[in-house]
Amino acid sequence: MGCLGLASGTFKGQRKLTAGDYMTTLNIQNLGQIKEASLTFGDLTVLVGPQATGKSIALQLLKLMVDAGQVQEEMAKYGLDWEHKLPEFLDVYFGEGMRSIWNEGSTLISWEGTPVDLPQMAKRKRPNKEETLFFIPAQRVLALRDGWPRPFTDYTPGDPFAVREFSENLRVLVEQEFGARGDLFPQQRRLKKEFRDLLQDHVFSNFHLKVDKFRSQKRLVLGPEEAKESLPYMVWSAGQREFVPLLLGFYWLMPPTKVSTRDKIKWVVLEELEMGLHPRAIAVVLLLVFELVARGYRVCLSTHSPQVLEAVWALKHLKANGAGADAFLEIFDAVNTQAMQKLANTVMEKSMNVFYFNRESGKTSDISELDPSAEEEGLSGWGGLSEFSGRANRAVARAAANGQPVLFK
Amino acid sequence: MSFKNAVRNTRHLENAWEPGLRALRAKDRPHIRPEDTGLLRGSVDVDSALQEHEPHAHRWDFAIGYRHSNRAKDCVYWVEIHTANDKEVKVVLNKMGWLRTWLGGDGKHLAQFERDFVWVSSGATSFTLSSPQLKQIAQLGLQHKGRVLRIPSARPS
Repeated sequence: MGCLGLASGTFKGQRKLTAGDYMTTLNIQNLGQIKEASLTFGDLTVLVGPQATGKSIALQLLKLMVDAGQVQEEMAKYGLDWEHKLPEFLDVYFGEGMRSIWNEGSTLISWEGTPVDLPQMAKRKRPNKEETLFFIPAQRVLALRDGWPRPFTDYTPGDPFAVREFSENLRVLVEQEFGARGDLFPQQRRLKKEFRDLLQDHVFSNFHLKVDKFRSQKRLVLGPEEAKESLPYMVWSAGQREFVPLLLGFYWLMPPTKVSTRDKIKWVVLEELEMGLHPRAIAVVLLLVFELVARGYRVCLSTHSPQVLEAVWALKHLKANGAGADAFLEIFDAVNTQAMQKLANTVMEKSMNVFYFNRESGKTSDISELDPSAEEEGLSGWGGLSEFSGRANRAVARAAANGQPVLFK
Repeated sequence: MSFKNAVRNTRHLENAWEPGLRALRAKDRPHIRPEDTGLLRGSVDVDSALQEHEPHAHRWDFAIGYRHSNRAKDCVYWVEIHTANDKEVKVVLNKMGWLRTWLGGDGKHLAQFERDFVWVSSGATSFTLSSPQLKQIAQLGLQHKGRVLRIPSARPS
């Protein structure tokens, strides 16, 4: 089991973690595309693998493992009735048609070493507890309609719970904490100045994100600070449309108070952070993810971006070579302030695990070592994320070794 | 001409040809894994053979002959087993520069074969498959492998 180390640094207001916190494991057999998965969660856990290999199922299952009571309460509150039956429960939780992921007699799930009886969970309501895992789904762009967050009830019963709940959380955040007209971004009390500057440069191009009113309808718009004219949601860039729900998610997780985390939230799942973003913007989002980790959240990512694994790989080697915060910040092209140094030093102490979901075998591999020299291609190619680069290098090298140079005019 | 004959016709390598992977040092052999050892056409320790004649040159390590099942002629794998980190990129490229020059002179008989120039990590690797360093060396004709060079029976076209 490869990991970067145990947490030691803590932010103000952050819960102290115990050794037991680092033993969290989720084992899955024969669920959907997953034949056999064994996941051990670190401070940061990254899942990689081709499309439709079960990464999202595993992450939604994690949510169910830690928040079963809250999930059931929320679904019941909005009138979703699964009649105490597992197939119906799977359809309303994972989304329409997802009852097919369950294989009666062969699906097995264990959480922290204890078998989980999912049919029983569907049959009997678990005691409600406050939400402990905040899920930012890959379909987050759906959370905004015409520039305003959609309520839970705006979706169909066949839409995944994770999408509906995320959307509802954004609605509550925007209506309760940003109800009045004005700027949502940048805001002095939201995010460190260093992050705000990076986001201005790499995502918003110095535009402000504001609450505006069109006829009687509130909406989010982008525009220069003092300008009357603003850009409505439909003319934002694809990356901005993807990023704004994510930004609101970060706002939710980083409240503007002295306490560094939100309520009882301990876990954050973020699916495909890279969607629609340029690599420079991805670097900023990654830095924000590390801010979450530094604040004491346990963060789980799924990604198709080699950049995410490059960052984890670099941190591992920086730590192994005793490098300091400066080297960490250089990777992200971040300013070297005291606050960012503290972030870097805290993150460098955190544990990071990477798992590869193999389509061919249906199994997961722990590739936390991220060894480019590994013999197995799935390991050296980081679960397929670097394979293309490897093949391109080989093809070019062969051509240069054997060919006759052609001079282009 | 076969790989073996080309070696025997090359100045200072006349007696350097060895069957299989025998020319490689014992510690280096595990870094090379042919899919079919029966297709090996011998090997040469270029570095040792030329040490006396070119003591100050950046000599290349080994050449391995292989007859792929889908090729009518031998192929040559020019293998350098070397530490793989940023600082060593320049060192290995210097060696490759020497090898290219040598293949244009004394090594001309060995320059006629289809070939791969391969850098195999002697230990850990400190750059990734998408790193600019690997792009730079690829443009110059050099492939970086991990700790093991696998030679397939059929050569990918």
